[in-house]
Amino acid sequence: MSTLDQRRRPDGRSRDVPAQLTGWSLRAVVGLVLTGFGLFFAVPIVWLLAALTKSGEQLTRRGPFTPGSLHELVRNWQELRHFQGGVVTHWFLNSVYYSLAALVLTLLVSVPAGYALATLRFRARRTLLVLTLVVMLMPSTSLVLPIFLEMNKVGFVGNPLSVILPWSFYPFGVYLTFIYFSTSLPGSLLSAARIDGCNEFQVFTRIALPLAKPVVALVAFFSFVQNWNNYFLPFVMLPTSDRYPIQVGLSSLLASTPAFNPSSAGADSLGFPALALATLVSVLPVLVIFLFSQRFLITGMTAGGIKE
Amino acid sequence: MSDLRTAATGLGARGGRAPRPRSSLMPAWPGVLFVTPYVVLMIVFGIAPAAYAIVLSVSKADGGFAGLANLKRVTGDFRFVPALQHVALYIGIWLVAMIVLVVLLALMVHQVRRRWARTSVRFVYYVPGALAGASSVLLWLFMLDPAASPIGFVLRWLGFSSFAQTIAPSHLPVILAVIAFWTGAGGWIVVMYGALNNISGDLLEAARIDGAGAVQIAIHIQLPLLRKWIAYMSVLSIAAGTQLFVEPTLLSQASNAIVPNDYSLNQLAYQYAFTLNDLNGSAAISVLLLIVTALASAVFVTRGGLFDTEPTS
Amino acid sequence: MSKLFHHRMLRSNTGRNVLAGALLMSALAACSSGGSTPAVGAGAGGTYGFAQAAQNSSAPITVWVDSDRAAAVAAFTKANPGVAVKVVTYDGSANGSNSFKTKIGLLDRAGQGWPDVVFSTQNNDAAWASQKTNGKAAFGAVLDQGLIPPGVLGGFTKGALDPCTVSGHVYCLRNDLAQNVLWFDKTLMTKFGYTLPTSWEDYQTLSAKVAQEHPGYLTGGVGDAWTPEVFMWASQCGANQVTGPRAVTIEATGPNCQRAAKLIDAGVANKTLSTVSVFSPGFVKQYAGKVLMMPGPAWFAGAVFNNPSALKLPAGQLGVAAPLAWSGAQPVTGDVGGGTWFISSHSKNLAAASKFAQFVTTSDDYQVDLAPGYPAFGAAAAKWISKQESSKYYATSLQPIIDAGGQIWSGWGSPEFSQEAVWAKTMTPLVNSGQSIAANLQKWQDALKNQAQVTGYTVK
Repeated sequence: MSTLDQRRRPDGRSRDVPAQLTGWSLRAVVGLVLTGFGLFFAVPIVWLLAALTKSGEQLTRRGPFTPGSLHELVRNWQELRHFQGGVVTHWFLNSVYYSLAALVLTLLVSVPAGYALATLRFRARRTLLVLTLVVMLMPSTSLVLPIFLEMNKVGFVGNPLSVILPWSFYPFGVYLTFIYFSTSLPGSLLSAARIDGCNEFQVFTRIALPLAKPVVALVAFFSFVQNWNNYFLPFVMLPTSDRYPIQVGLSSLLASTPAFNPSSAGADSLGFPALALATLVSVLPVLVIFLFSQRFLITGMTAGGIKE
Repeated sequence: MSDLRTAATGLGARGGRAPRPRSSLMPAWPGVLFVTPYVVLMIVFGIAPAAYAIVLSVSKADGGFAGLANLKRVTGDFRFVPALQHVALYIGIWLVAMIVLVVLLALMVHQVRRRWARTSVRFVYYVPGALAGASSVLLWLFMLDPAASPIGFVLRWLGFSSFAQTIAPSHLPVILAVIAFWTGAGGWIVVMYGALNNISGDLLEAARIDGAGAVQIAIHIQLPLLRKWIAYMSVLSIAAGTQLFVEPTLLSQASNAIVPNDYSLNQLAYQYAFTLNDLNGSAAISVLLLIVTALASAVFVTRGGLFDTEPTS
Repeated sequence: MSKLFHHRMLRSNTGRNVLAGALLMSALAACSSGGSTPAVGAGAGGTYGFAQAAQNSSAPITVWVDSDRAAAVAAFTKANPGVAVKVVTYDGSANGSNSFKTKIGLLDRAGQGWPDVVFSTQNNDAAWASQKTNGKAAFGAVLDQGLIPPGVLGGFTKGALDPCTVSGHVYCLRNDLAQNVLWFDKTLMTKFGYTLPTSWEDYQTLSAKVAQEHPGYLTGGVGDAWTPEVFMWASQCGANQVTGPRAVTIEATGPNCQRAAKLIDAGVANKTLSTVSVFSPGFVKQYAGKVLMMPGPAWFAGAVFNNPSALKLPAGQLGVAAPLAWSGAQPVTGDVGGGTWFISSHSKNLAAASKFAQFVTTSDDYQVDLAPGYPAFGAAAAKWISKQESSKYYATSLQPIIDAGGQIWSGWGSPEFSQEAVWAKTMTPLVNSGQSIAANLQKWQDALKNQAQVTGYTVK
């Protein structure tokens, strides 16, 4: 089955068309595969959205994608809200607080650091950069237990700072700002500012920062998402239930769902749909951000580097 | 902004950067000041914990030197090798799936004619990435229960009539890989697609003039240019995979302990620390994980030539 | 002023001994004066046998329960509106998850944040909660040195507090006795014309008959992690003999274990034993109205049968009979959990914590009126039986439950590691994939041995 592009003009010059499949069989295969995977990715989410509008019985009895009713959605929401005295809202707010606080700190720390690595000279600059890259690629969970012991020594365990501070150490953020400043800050601009008499701090605040909005948004995106979704660190650092972020709180919710935990068939138990609603609530901010952030993903992941 | 885009979309011409004039009069202290908070954090949360873990892993509980005794004890634990196998198998399956399918799907998405179709397909693939960790596990708990799942008929066709059968420990590496693929693949497909977009049209045109078909173009032109991305994706996936903790922990809870609470190496480290009160053993496991991944990432960074560490000043 | 003195005294051992002596004297005096005893034993400010945190009698207490026990907390707050109670639900350490132990371990390191009262579904937590770990004080408060009045402690059914007793001291209160009995659907049994088996052999024969004549009906379940506690324990299988504080003897392949294993295999093969958990929606869907009988603990009554989210058996159908026995062996039975309540030694309001623990284990408001299982506290147990019988829900007398309470075989211990977790990890997958338990008892033996050794036991 030839897939050769036959659309060559009579004079031999080809039309300016990007490589496209012209053979029907290959096109059909591509379409089939893409649709198949599309279903694979989409079905669980569609099911989730339908499930939280149903009651427990409707979930098992009716078809998976039949929508329920607004009334059931409200009921599930009330069930979730009243669980253990409103602790779910509390967990959600905890997540917001920890992630935002860590985000602010991350920006305060990473942006100047990336700027310095990119534009200033000082000893050990290269070492710091290489260290940053190495640490960036390492798994963070293997350090959680030693960090726990560190925090323990200074008595921070159980304190929100014990998650906010470790989260503020974000080598990937430093790397992104390094790339950004080294590629899009014209050196001439900086020298001109220095000649004009600005000290380094003023150069940073008056020249570099105003131009840094894209990278700030980028770092904010990655940092927030990573912090919001983090489980192991807060699981260990914040053992009391009212300090949990929502991700860790999900495990408590799971423990209270009778279908998944036999001893929990009791007064404070959760039905399946309420658990499904909790799942959605736990990712809501990130989901909203994701809906608008494909661009960020490309820019961030492809940043500067992968040298040709 | 255009500079960022040029730099950021990596492949293809980098665009020449004007060499910056170096001022020999520029003092070093501003740079040091700017990086100090970062360095402090790096020491406190990067270097010191690693050092502390190493010290702990070679110490006895009362502080004396223990040499490799902790490592021996931990690796001799009957749960260590299975946990290692679980993580290795999981990473292996996931990596293969990621490399093969992500590249394949990215290439296919690139072939789609209509722009709206391309955009919506990318969007659908990308959205599951918003659910990470605990949330995606909870969602998949529903998916894996033949009684409640929308794909129940698939599970029953596979011979599983109950949740307990679906998550039998021998199926777990595949299930965990599927969950990880579901959340992670979309983002990488989008990134690879972006990379594919940067391949110069002239190059492709020339290939087609030479008579190459779509498949040949994929094999001889697009794939080689994607190789570095694939390597990058692999390294990040390996690092993420060794961190396996939340998925088996929640599955353990949901499955009445059919999935044990020491399924992965990280869980084992946690059990050592808090059930057996053996911090030294726990540190030994952490150090093991650290060394393996630090080596891999160091090799990748310095030899892979993937990252540009040269500043321009 | 006295609190300061109190603190300084407690810091030194001699101080503590002197205080303890003084306490004893004042306790004796209090007893002889015949005054009304406050809910907390020997006078305020007593040492109760452990170093206390600074006490604040109006401090709220934090209680960790599983969601099943949330009703107990609600009953307490209703009866004691003056006590502020903060509830946290967790998994109750079910299925050997160890979450109670690991969370307390984390809090020990944090040095703060301990709950005041904790409920655990497991029976082996006293083993670690009574010990100092890493130089930190033991989490579990000693209860028999004044914190709980001796009258209350003595009111528990004989043997109920055994899992709570370490080195002669009591560290927790037992919630309910979970002795295994034979539950059956009297209406179905009569309808099908079957007679109730009294021995495991008869049970096996009857199950085979049921499989033939009424396929799809159940005579028992092995889908939950407590299967060894129902079948192996009752068969006097020697897989769980705790011989010392750090020693176990594991003989999981002997004839007693073999016969129970063969019974399980036969039942799984002819599908009279369910392989799904009794609490899963799948179980309810498949077997509602089809459970002929089920060997199981006393709390099955309220949790499985008389439960609208589970089997929802109508009134007048559920009967209970004496637990099955192997022919020729003395009649013994097993026990599935029963739950234990711990008071934290770090509590800042021991008076309220003690009041709470006593209420939830002994009060009629909870144990008689609301509890799904057979209370461990003697007086409450008798009232629970009469209340259940008078509710006319049951088709038979509940005497077998009372009798079975005294038949729990003592050869099955409560080591620090979880039997349920080992079974769920090693044997349940075999059941689910259709393999034989009897042929794989060595696997169980090895798994138990490994787990015991890793937890620090020497294994014979």
